[in-house]
Amino acid sequence: MARDKEKQPEVQYYPEIPPLELATAYVPPQVLGRTFTPAEAVQYGTLFPELYRPYPYGIKTAR
Amino acid sequence: MNGLESREQVRLLREIQELEFAAVEWNLFLDTHPENREALEAYNATVARLNEKKRAYEAAYGPLVHFGASASAYPWRWIEDPWPWEIDY
Repeated sequence: MARDKEKQPEVQYYPEIPPLELATAYVPPQVLGRTFTPAEAVQYGTLFPELYRPYPYGIKTAR
Repeated sequence: MNGLESREQVRLLREIQELEFAAVEWNLFLDTHPENREALEAYNATVARLNEKKRAYEAAYGPLVHFGASASAYPWRWIEDPWPWEIDY
C-alpha cells in the first residue's frame, strides 16, 4: 500500500491525460483512416492526416 | 536548367515524385501492418500508377535512372540535358 503511494507521481506532467510514469514510451497502433492525395502528401510531409504535425515556426507555446 | 524542358515534362516528373512518396508512406505503414488488405491494395495501386508514369516519362524524355535500371532508345539518351535533378521547378 505504502509502496503504491510512493509510486504516485507528485507532478502531473500532462494534466489532461492520466498520470504517466517517467521514461515510459507510448506508441499506440496507427489505425488506417482517410489519407491525403499523393500531391497533398508531398506538401504535408506525410500521407496520413493523423501524423501531420504543423509545428508553429518561431512561436513559443506555453505549456 | 536550359529552359527547354516543357511544362509537361515538369508536370510528369512532379507526379512521379508524388507517387514515389506515397509508395514510401504505404511501404512504411505496411511494415507495421502487414495484414492490412486495404493498405496493400493502395500500395499496389500506387506502384502500378508510378510504373505507368515512369514508362510515359522515359518514352518521352529519356531514362530517369542509369546503370542498368532503365533501357534507352537510340541514340543513348542519358547524356541529354537536362538530367532529372537539373530541372528547375
